[in-house]
Amino acid sequence: MRINRRSWLTAFVAGSMLIGTSVAAPSLALAQEKTLIVRFYDDPAGFDPSNIFRIENENIAFNIFSGLTSYDGVTGEIIPDLAESWETSDNITWTFHLRQGVQWQKGYGEFTAEDVLYSFNRILDPDTASPYAAELAGIESIEAPDPYTVVIKLSAPNGNFLHTVANYHQGQIVKKEAVEAAGDQVRWQPVGTGPYYLESIDVNSQIVLKRHEDYYKGPAPIETLDFHIIKDDATAAIALRNGEIDLLMRQSKEEQLQTLEAEGFKMNHVDNYAVSIKVPNLTDPILGDVRVRQAIAYAIDYPAITAALAPSLQAPAYSILLPWMDVYSEAAPKYEYDPEKARALLAEAGYADGFTLKVLGTSAQGVTEQQQFEIDYLSQVGINMELELVDTPTFNQRRNSGDFMMAGRLLPAVNPDMILFSYLHPANKAPGGLNGARYDNPEMTSALEAAQAEPDPDKRLELYAKVQQIAMTELPYIPATASNVFWPSKQNVDGVNINYLAQVNFWDVDIEE
Amino acid sequence: MLTYSLKRLAQLFVTVLGVVTLVFFTMRMIPGDPISAMAGDNLAGAALDKMREQMGLTEPLLLQYLHYLGGLAVLDFGNTVTTRLPIIQLILDALPVTVSIALGTIFLTVLIAIPLGTLAAYMAHKGHRMLDNAITGVAMVLDLMPSFWTSLVCLLIFSLALGWFPASGTVNIDDPVQMLRRVALPVLVLSMAQIATMARITRTSVLEVLSEDYVRTARSMGWSELRVLFRHALKNAALPIVTVIGLSFGNLLNGTVIVEFIFTLPGIGNLLVGGINSRDYQMVQTLILFYALIFVVINFATDLVYRLFDPRVQF
Repeated sequence: MRINRRSWLTAFVAGSMLIGTSVAAPSLALAQEKTLIVRFYDDPAGFDPSNIFRIENENIAFNIFSGLTSYDGVTGEIIPDLAESWETSDNITWTFHLRQGVQWQKGYGEFTAEDVLYSFNRILDPDTASPYAAELAGIESIEAPDPYTVVIKLSAPNGNFLHTVANYHQGQIVKKEAVEAAGDQVRWQPVGTGPYYLESIDVNSQIVLKRHEDYYKGPAPIETLDFHIIKDDATAAIALRNGEIDLLMRQSKEEQLQTLEAEGFKMNHVDNYAVSIKVPNLTDPILGDVRVRQAIAYAIDYPAITAALAPSLQAPAYSILLPWMDVYSEAAPKYEYDPEKARALLAEAGYADGFTLKVLGTSAQGVTEQQQFEIDYLSQVGINMELELVDTPTFNQRRNSGDFMMAGRLLPAVNPDMILFSYLHPANKAPGGLNGARYDNPEMTSALEAAQAEPDPDKRLELYAKVQQIAMTELPYIPATASNVFWPSKQNVDGVNINYLAQVNFWDVDIEE
Repeated sequence: MLTYSLKRLAQLFVTVLGVVTLVFFTMRMIPGDPISAMAGDNLAGAALDKMREQMGLTEPLLLQYLHYLGGLAVLDFGNTVTTRLPIIQLILDALPVTVSIALGTIFLTVLIAIPLGTLAAYMAHKGHRMLDNAITGVAMVLDLMPSFWTSLVCLLIFSLALGWFPASGTVNIDDPVQMLRRVALPVLVLSMAQIATMARITRTSVLEVLSEDYVRTARSMGWSELRVLFRHALKNAALPIVTVIGLSFGNLLNGTVIVEFIFTLPGIGNLLVGGINSRDYQMVQTLILFYALIFVVINFATDLVYRLFDPRVQF
């Protein structure tokens, strides 16, 4: 990996020749080499698992690295990756049996248990300053009795530990020698055991991945993944229609999706990948009243809003968990649109004449149509919603410090336990944790802890059902919408399975000639 | 001339120091820091504090400022806070893109706006209000069309419908043909607005000059109208036009944020917007320093050019 202008020249020449071949007649010399040109939507920020941010970067890392486990692209289930199998009897001691003969990229030799120990200890090392260290904080000891076995002991039972060691953030296994060789440029020189390695990068325009010939499942069908940075969604759609790219990572404009669908492009998508919630500040005297929060939930008709604004990209959400998650409970209360009930609840709470609800939002897109609908729906029950729009860093900072009445949040996570624990447990109250509502209910806390510890699958589901029951009755967070992710492509691109982290495993992807 | 240059150099130093100081403290006054900008929705405050410490963001502000000035003194512009890449390299990589767009735009603008403005002035002078109004009107419409809209329209016409130019792809000075194909549309879009301004300025200053005595004298000497217009009128009307060209060039070099975003051009504006959004203090500071330098240099160059047109200008 080099970041210099010469290398992007060569990459560019290769890239442009290949653009030529995909648009015009395929030239003989390059006919066998497959290249997929993919739209990348922002400046890359680096691919060091200990320090990685944002979905687009995570997508690259997902294809470079492996975890002990991974996620199935279609079902979202936990599947074996570097660990072929595992066992636990009590959710405390986890034994992982590693795959043999797995090769590192760039000639770093064979993968062994030592690499797992190094990777996890690196995350836990305070000098790494990894924001994901907390995810592994439950590890009391980690040992490698032989090169293909890893035994991890936790300080408390955790039935969701397989999520923690999946191919995502802290779970991605790195190579000691490669990390040390890269020094402070480690985010730009990732070496993993995944299906693709990073060949070159120009942080302003292009990322080139080449397939890892010794990948343990066999080489991927496509030799080169050429990511072109195209920030504007409308430009990206034009580039796809023009044949300049094969696959469009993330199209977030409803009208562009409709155009692309009408023109016969393949609309690869995943539904319900993340919930967007309203975060009421429970320390606020008005929002501290559960009836007010329920009134807000009854007052806004999200099914109508999503149907009107973005039927492809959004759906109404009825819980802070999503129906595809294994612990999701159908029994928890749902809030269907009912303005009468909302008004009654407000009157009961002493706000028959309404009140002013200040909502903190980001100015990235100005006042959105959804916000206009929300203002309108709330005004019908007497709530005067006032928007305060600030830029994203300011928003994050104020949301964290509690300087808001109501804010919003997106919950992109596949691990339901991570959502529930982080958002509902008082130990995770903001600013230290993600519990931005500052929610603290002893009944909830004990239910959460019991659920995480329970080894019996049926009892575990019961306990999680109880957690959702309490959460949806007390509404420390108000679910609004669930978002769908689209990666439109040319018809000849196959196997684009977007998982519930909005990631694509490019090992599954192929181009039909 | 030498004393003048020295004086300008001293001015430059003071200006740059002021700008640098102002930017340093303003950036830190905005709520949020590089870490809160980076952290998405899934990261908690406690997990991020250690990162802040590692990046030196927890040091006293004055100490950070002195560190920064110390770096500047030895021309060390540092690495970006978020991506750890050398800033000067990022700017040097972005510069060719921005310079070619700026040069192309100025070239196209001058080529069209000056004859157009002169023609409009001449028509107005001769009492042909119709043509004058038509030119001024078209210029105004061009000026008022927002660039995010004209950019997309240009893409739809020239890229999608006609297929003349690509909508995306890498930009590289080592491949002039591809480079030209990539910057053609941005230059067109940016020129539309520039042409309007430049044509108006040209019209106004030429019109003013046309009623001067020496123009009448030139005419009475029997010279052709064209020669009167371009040799006498335009040359004497040149000072304000040169000023506007200088300023536009400076503005264009500072990056044309919207156009770079839509056409996916990795230029200076792209760096600045990215830097502000990610609260990359070091990047924003260096870019603003760079802007200040560009403006001082351009003002200096403009002054020198004044002399070419008006020998009475003394330094």
